[in-house]
Amino acid sequence: MIETNHVITIRGLTKSYGATSVLKGVNFTVRRGEVHALLGGNGAGKSTMIKIITGASSRNDGDIRFFDNEGRVRSETEGRAKVAVVHQELALLPHLTVAENIALPHQRRGAGLFRRVAAARHAYDALRMIDQDFAAKSLYWLVGSLSLHEGQMVEIARALSSGAELILLDEPTANLTANETERLFTVLRKLTRENGLSVVFVSHRMKEIRQIANVCTIIRGGHTVVDRQPMEELTDAGIIERMGQVAASHAPERAPRSEYRSDASAATDIITIEETGFRQELQPGTVLGVAGAPAGPAALIEALTGTARKKRWTVARAGWPDQLRSPRKAACLGAGYVTGDRAHKGVLHNLPIIDNVMASRRVTRGALLAGGSEGGECLDLLKALKVKAASVWDLPSTLSGGTQQKLLLARWLGVPSRLLVLEEPTRGVDIGTKREIYQLIRQMAASGTVIIWWSTENVELLEVCDRVIAFDTEGRCAGVLDRNDFSEEKLVTLTGMAA
Amino acid sequence: MTGTRARIAPTEAPPTQIRQRESLFSAYRTEIAIALAIALLALAVGSQVPQALTWGNFANITQAGAPLIIMSLGVLLVVITGGIDLSVGSVFSLTGMVTAQAMANGFGGIAASLIGLGAGLLFGSINGFLVTIAGLAPFVVTLITFAVAGSLAFIVTNGRSMPIGDPDFWLLNSGSLIPGVPNYILFCLVLMIAIEFFLKKMVAGRWFYAVGSSSMAAYLLGIPVKRTKFMAYVASSLLASFSGLLTISYILNAESTAGSSLMLQAIAAVVIGGASLLGGTGTAVGAVLGALMITVIQNGVNLIGINSFWQGSVTGVAILIAVLIDRFSKSRRGAV
Ligand SMILES: Nc1ncnc2c1ncn2[C@@H]1O[C@H](COP(=O)(O)OP(=O)(O)O)[C@@H](O)[C@H]1O
Ligand SMILES: [Mg+2]
Repeated sequence: MIETNHVITIRGLTKSYGATSVLKGVNFTVRRGEVHALLGGNGAGKSTMIKIITGASSRNDGDIRFFDNEGRVRSETEGRAKVAVVHQELALLPHLTVAENIALPHQRRGAGLFRRVAAARHAYDALRMIDQDFAAKSLYWLVGSLSLHEGQMVEIARALSSGAELILLDEPTANLTANETERLFTVLRKLTRENGLSVVFVSHRMKEIRQIANVCTIIRGGHTVVDRQPMEELTDAGIIERMGQVAASHAPERAPRSEYRSDASAATDIITIEETGFRQELQPGTVLGVAGAPAGPAALIEALTGTARKKRWTVARAGWPDQLRSPRKAACLGAGYVTGDRAHKGVLHNLPIIDNVMASRRVTRGALLAGGSEGGECLDLLKALKVKAASVWDLPSTLSGGTQQKLLLARWLGVPSRLLVLEEPTRGVDIGTKREIYQLIRQMAASGTVIIWWSTENVELLEVCDRVIAFDTEGRCAGVLDRNDFSEEKLVTLTGMAA
Repeated sequence: MTGTRARIAPTEAPPTQIRQRESLFSAYRTEIAIALAIALLALAVGSQVPQALTWGNFANITQAGAPLIIMSLGVLLVVITGGIDLSVGSVFSLTGMVTAQAMANGFGGIAASLIGLGAGLLFGSINGFLVTIAGLAPFVVTLITFAVAGSLAFIVTNGRSMPIGDPDFWLLNSGSLIPGVPNYILFCLVLMIAIEFFLKKMVAGRWFYAVGSSSMAAYLLGIPVKRTKFMAYVASSLLASFSGLLTISYILNAESTAGSSLMLQAIAAVVIGGASLLGGTGTAVGAVLGALMITVIQNGVNLIGINSFWQGSVTGVAILIAVLIDRFSKSRRGAV
């Protein structure tokens, strides 16, 4: 069988971890020049499949064939050399520069010396495709000092410039701003059209999938339920249904508004956030959205979590000190934080699920002993978030990315806190679970917690929040929208970012 | 079979039960493997030299291993937090010299021991301070204190070895607080159980692993990262000190170089016991077994009559095997 337009075909792929089988015979075909959406709920096995394609993970059974331009079958080693990947959790070398990170993998055939100038040029050309400004200034920065979205751009640039014929992108947009996503899509369209590049694209955002993908494959319960079907033939509802997500998820009904009633003492419970020329009072139970390019929100969040080095924002509440000096101080005063950098700043990779989930409670309660009633409490939290795991003693690395995200949320879920700062809490979480998380966050607000929620998904903010602060691309506060004048256009105008 | 399979899989995985109890077998897999390896090793030695399997030799092994066991427990605490303590051997020697000199100056056994432990406390605090507050790398900091404490151990008596003055001091090591159990065994057991309980069941103990796993994530969680690291270095030095006291109480003589070979052995013991030098893993039971294994090897080499110069090589091979076992069992962790 010669298939000149196939890049890879997979038949009957199976994979199990111990007794749990994740893939039970998946079929997957990618053709030349297409953007292929790989869809499925959290834990469906998308990342697993990508790792098997790149060889990072082994398979139990199944046939994988890579094809060259003429349709001949390549060996797996040869085939994999033409595949580039952006893994869900970033894999960069923190002590090297941006230029080195992008260029190093491609200088393997060099004469043994690292060609610095060539590397810089290579890296610049690669980065420029996504962000000209960033490319111009960042080449010699250490990757360890980059923010999450900058790291993501570096990783994407590395993949795009690798000369690969097939690029696998595992939730690449989860860490990008809308503008960056837009530029990434432009590049992908160009490369697929002109160079015949093929792209496998994993995302939970239906809108993006519609924008970029030509065809899609859906996996569920270990099987291929939709095998390479054109996007036009599928409705959103159909896709969601085939992914096995709850039907309610595509009928966006508004989450219930905060029901928190302020009583007499409530005046002292108000949290005020302030910078020069800007001041917001947050009643208990408010859900405040934060939108815009990362610089602005980041400064606010640093002040709220006790990690700020410069004093730009003040956070005031009766009984709190002038400034939250450390995350520990913040946590003990009832100010919780769920980081957006799950892999590097969130998950404790060497500790079992139970320690990961109970961590914040242990800090705030100041308990002496671990264990005891914690097991039951942890189990309840995992159930509330529909986490599937074999044991609370398993390591987080046995969970899918979206599920690890749920562990971070579980830390603060149901903790009676005053303030909860969430950075992209639904990153990598599937559509069905997102809805549940919105509900849970609303419930926390209803119990009097002030929620500050930074998201790059405007739709999400407009759906859940009572108010949204928009920051412009320079990091300045551009305005505040109240629930009754919410609209995507206004948010787009204020933030200066495409939706 | 290339056609669309639009059928929605009816065999959705049933809602899984999440296990809440920790299976002791999977939690102590590495330790069980090492215990078995030690047993095999002992049998192998016994097949050559039958007296290796007597109670008398068992007592020899535990007596010889006790100082290393206690020191390894301390090093373990530091290694779990992602650090390293190179100063333990020097602190061990220094404690012996200071204690013996104090007795020579007229202090009783208990007072002199407290002075010796004070030296450990001081060096532990210096290590902890330089690592947490000054933010220096643990390797460098403890290399410095290794050198300084090591040279002080000579300065105290001007290089001479020093006999123990208090005639009752042997009781610390060989007496029996619990009738029938010599103190050195009692101390090892109590410390192992106490530290294992601390690490596994106490919140402050869990912080050790959290800090070693990712100190950034731990910091953002509000875990007292600096305090935890500080405690680890102080505990490590104190245990090294205590181990030095036990040794002079057994030998009844203090020497400036007594601990010089112990530091690498303690680190080896911790690694054999399943701890990663990258931090975040390790158990007290494992460290004790690792120390036992090293001692059993030394004992076996002596009994069989192999040139003792081979000891290092045999220990090296043991470390290699242990690390391979550990790697093999880790890669399957969570798969059960
Ligand atoms: N190392 C591992 N050990 C055990 N189970 C694992 C491991 N890695 C992934 N899994 C399981 O495989 C399933 C699929 O994970 P993954 O491919 O990451 O899902 P997703 O489709 O969300 O990317 C999940 O249920 C996860 O718990
Ligand atoms: Mg995934």
